[in-house]
Amino acid sequence: MTSHISRRLLGAGSLLLASALVLGACSSSDADPTTSNAPTGGDVAVGDLTSSGDALTLLIGSSGEAETTAVETAVAAWSAESGVEATVQVASDLAQQLSQGFAAGSPPDLFYMSPDAIGGYSSNGSLKAYGDLLANKADFYGPLVDNFTVDGDFYCAPKDFSTLALVINTDLWAAAGLTDADIPKTWDDLTAVSTTLTTDGRTGLAFGPEYQRIGVFFAEAGGGLVADGAAAANSPANVEALTYVQSNLKNGNFAFSSDLGAGWGGEAFGKQLAAMVIEGNWITGALTNDFPDVNYVVAELPSGPGGMGTLQYTNCWGMSADSPNQQAALDLVEYLTAPEQQLAFSAAFGPMPSIASAADAWTAANPKLAAFLAGAQYAQYLPSQVGANEVVSDLNSQLESLKDGDPAAILDSVQGNLEAVIQ
Amino acid sequence: MSAIETRPQAARQQDDLKRSTVWRRRLKSLGIGQWVLFALLIALALIYIYPFLVQIATSFKTDSEAASNPISLVPSIWSWAAYEQLFARSDFPRWFMNSAIVTIFVTTGRVFFVSLAGYALARLHFRGRGLVFAMVVGVMAVPGVVLLIPKFLVLNQLNLYDSYLGMILPLLVDAAGVFIMKNFFESIPVSVEEQARMDGAGAFRVFWSIVLPMARPALITIVILSFQGSWNELSHFIVSTQSPDLTTLTKGVASLASGQLSQGSQYPIKLAASVIMTIPVAVMFFVFQRRIMNNTQGAEKG
Amino acid sequence: MALRVATPLRGGSRSSGIRRGERTAGWLFSLPVIVILGVFLFIPVVMAIWVSFSDWSGRGSPVSSGVNFIGVENYTDVTSGGGLAEKNFGTAIRNNAWYVVFVVPIQTVLSLFLAVLVNRAVLRGRSFFRMSFYFPSVTSSVAITVLWLFLFSTSGVINNVLSWFGVNGPNWFNDPRGIVHVALGSMGVGTAPEALSSHGFLGIDWWEWLSGPSFAMSAFILMAVFTTSGTFMLLFLAALQNINPELGEAASMDGANGRQRFWRITLPQLRPTLFTVLTLGLIGTWQVFDQIYTGTQGGPGKTTLTPAYLSYESAFIGQEWGRGSAIAFILFIIIIVFTVFQRWVLRERAVSKRRSYNYQATGKKS
Repeated sequence: MTSHISRRLLGAGSLLLASALVLGACSSSDADPTTSNAPTGGDVAVGDLTSSGDALTLLIGSSGEAETTAVETAVAAWSAESGVEATVQVASDLAQQLSQGFAAGSPPDLFYMSPDAIGGYSSNGSLKAYGDLLANKADFYGPLVDNFTVDGDFYCAPKDFSTLALVINTDLWAAAGLTDADIPKTWDDLTAVSTTLTTDGRTGLAFGPEYQRIGVFFAEAGGGLVADGAAAANSPANVEALTYVQSNLKNGNFAFSSDLGAGWGGEAFGKQLAAMVIEGNWITGALTNDFPDVNYVVAELPSGPGGMGTLQYTNCWGMSADSPNQQAALDLVEYLTAPEQQLAFSAAFGPMPSIASAADAWTAANPKLAAFLAGAQYAQYLPSQVGANEVVSDLNSQLESLKDGDPAAILDSVQGNLEAVIQ
Repeated sequence: MSAIETRPQAARQQDDLKRSTVWRRRLKSLGIGQWVLFALLIALALIYIYPFLVQIATSFKTDSEAASNPISLVPSIWSWAAYEQLFARSDFPRWFMNSAIVTIFVTTGRVFFVSLAGYALARLHFRGRGLVFAMVVGVMAVPGVVLLIPKFLVLNQLNLYDSYLGMILPLLVDAAGVFIMKNFFESIPVSVEEQARMDGAGAFRVFWSIVLPMARPALITIVILSFQGSWNELSHFIVSTQSPDLTTLTKGVASLASGQLSQGSQYPIKLAASVIMTIPVAVMFFVFQRRIMNNTQGAEKG
Repeated sequence: MALRVATPLRGGSRSSGIRRGERTAGWLFSLPVIVILGVFLFIPVVMAIWVSFSDWSGRGSPVSSGVNFIGVENYTDVTSGGGLAEKNFGTAIRNNAWYVVFVVPIQTVLSLFLAVLVNRAVLRGRSFFRMSFYFPSVTSSVAITVLWLFLFSTSGVINNVLSWFGVNGPNWFNDPRGIVHVALGSMGVGTAPEALSSHGFLGIDWWEWLSGPSFAMSAFILMAVFTTSGTFMLLFLAALQNINPELGEAASMDGANGRQRFWRITLPQLRPTLFTVLTLGLIGTWQVFDQIYTGTQGGPGKTTLTPAYLSYESAFIGQEWGRGSAIAFILFIIIIVFTVFQRWVLRERAVSKRRSYNYQATGKKS
């Protein structure tokens, strides 16, 4: 009997051992792709890029049909010109699909990369730092390049940028008896105007329940999450900003777009659930496509106790270190960041070109959106250290209960989390 | 009793009369208790059914009516826009096809493999039988969530990630199914097989031609459970695929609900997608409902 | 006369007689099951254990040479690390614990209630009722979640119905307030008592642990009850129909009324089924994932974050594969602990001495 049992155990154990060995052998026999062509810094020559006849895949996080169509058209045009096939995939959850793709060893060749994600992906060798190889490298705005430079390596080309501004529904504005002179310049003006615009079933000002929108108030108060390279979440300026937002939320002249039943600020604006929203350039494409009857004007955000302030967003074209055809990918990036292409994107879905040479053409083509570009001069961006995006999501989850919460306590907890991340 | 008195005149009308008389007598003797009970049951059943009726109704409404008048079960303007957008201008047909492919392969495969193994564990004596059975039971105890990450890792290592094989293979065997078939085969008298063996049939012949046809009720249970399980599966498809060409209905509708593909609050299209997704399972439910409801009890015991 | 008794063919040779080839057949028949269960269920668990003790960052193979063993760091990060990882884990456990506390009793009681009702109905239509209560259980959780998002939206069906009763329904899936806190607030306890808010567990102070499920989580609780009560109702129905009616008749002849009959006669006989329902309920509620993935992804305010979703999110979105695996295994242990505890609580206990003395004294056998 005992020999029976021990034989069974032996059988099970050897089966387990055998399978573990087989697995180990299977995996280590694969050539580890990371060792072949991932320079970690310093001078990078074109010869360091891989080249093959493989087709390219792009993964984008689209803000709507306008953006998807624009990117697909551009890529198709490039494909026809260059002879290299390329497909565009729209991500349903960009962060998850990117992470899963890298873990599976089959990431897309090019993808949207945001400053908060670049820390993580660059540190584990997933990205190819091709920034210095770009033909138009000098044309990109300095601050944008800084956003995507980690440890001295310029990783990827900024594809565009946007700032947040105040979008006002002109019909509702006029109906409330307001004129151009009433466009808010200070926080008090904003409170007054939004109160006037608040009626039954419509709120004066709406924005998403997240730091990515509420952060403009932090900037206007002279605060911000990071100051001089150190965590400054619970500064008095930030507390003042949150208290201001909270009191207006309680009074009802400000509201979260989610509380109005909308998926984001643009939807709340388009459905006229709010007369004003704080949103970025991308709202223009969405409004043209989904809510063409709404007339609007874009104004700079009011200044707060600390002056003018807004937030800036940018994404870059990240390139995977495992891509078999990096040369073609580089070519595609240069095509997509060229002035003509960026202006076409801007016309389609709103963001501003990331290159200085297109600035004049853009301003001429979009006089209505001048406020967005003006914001670039005093815009802040979100902290991009590794782990910072988790801190920001935690802040967002606390902001969702801002109405009943305690601004100082919220900011203290964020300060603690942020200090752990910014060394 | 009137039923007994009318029997000698057994004409068809007398039978009906008998039945309705018995009915009326029953109804009279019920008393208020049963009526209250009945009313309560009807109310509860309505609460359970109403959401589905609203679901179907809303899929035929326009976006604005869905938002402004969510309760009504009859749209004031019948609109096919949601269905049109689903079928003509989205990847929905592809999702449906992928789900269908996976479900068909998984169901067929499961029926075959699970009954084979169940027969082996029930009737064939081989060394290690106990160990295999212990493994099956042990696997049933592992909660699915623990397997989410590691299944992804293993599929990756085997180069099965992002392929139909990767979607189908892991689902091909189901520990609970083996358990059900084993229990069933143990209830079949051994004499039938012994007879066939003595006539010279090999083990597989005995299984295929003699025992399997007798297992129809249990096999139907397996078919129903596998169909339902693979059609409604979500987490496995999340971890095993990333290409949009391989998206199944579950993953696709989930992305419609709240991924970046979700168009704000456009309820009719989301509900239309979930209606279509529910139809095959609902059809199967109605066709086999008696068997499902009787067999669930047997399957869950022990 | 010596009778030749045919030796039963046990153990020993399989190569002759009617049992020939049985061993090969046995292994061959079980092979698909062994291979697939082994490769896709057993080996993954082993691999996940390794990943949870390693620092694999998400690139290349987890068993390659660059991946190091880091001991229990992933586990301690999550249970006592003091940072966001611990806080998220504590939040997830708290949310799921409240979910379990509400769902399991409600679904058990409701399914038993439905079963008793359907069992008592003598009029035709019993199968109609069984079907309507069971139908939600066959639908996919994705489909039901989409439906629920619609029903519980700000101006959706549920809030419309509540307004008939003068109640202003909350913005269900976007409201992060815990219902216990709201209830306490309406009774005047608005802020946290000092004792509760200065101490905590897993990064969350005790006042937050007592917040109750949020309105968003409550919507999920209702959804869980809606979709599982049918299945468990069928289990109870089968058990009820197996109960011998004579016991109940004997009891009523002894003078027991309906309620006593139910509590003293019917319910104890349902013990095995009750046990099954509770076990299945516990195992199921601790693993809630599909609904969260489809519906709220942990929001609003992280109040629908569950350990299963946190495990997925840490790994697949945050690229913290080791931490995600550690969370999954801790969850596994939690489920085992709860199941074992429940088995222990509901075990058949020997009748206590006092009780048995009572019966002996009056001459009745227990």
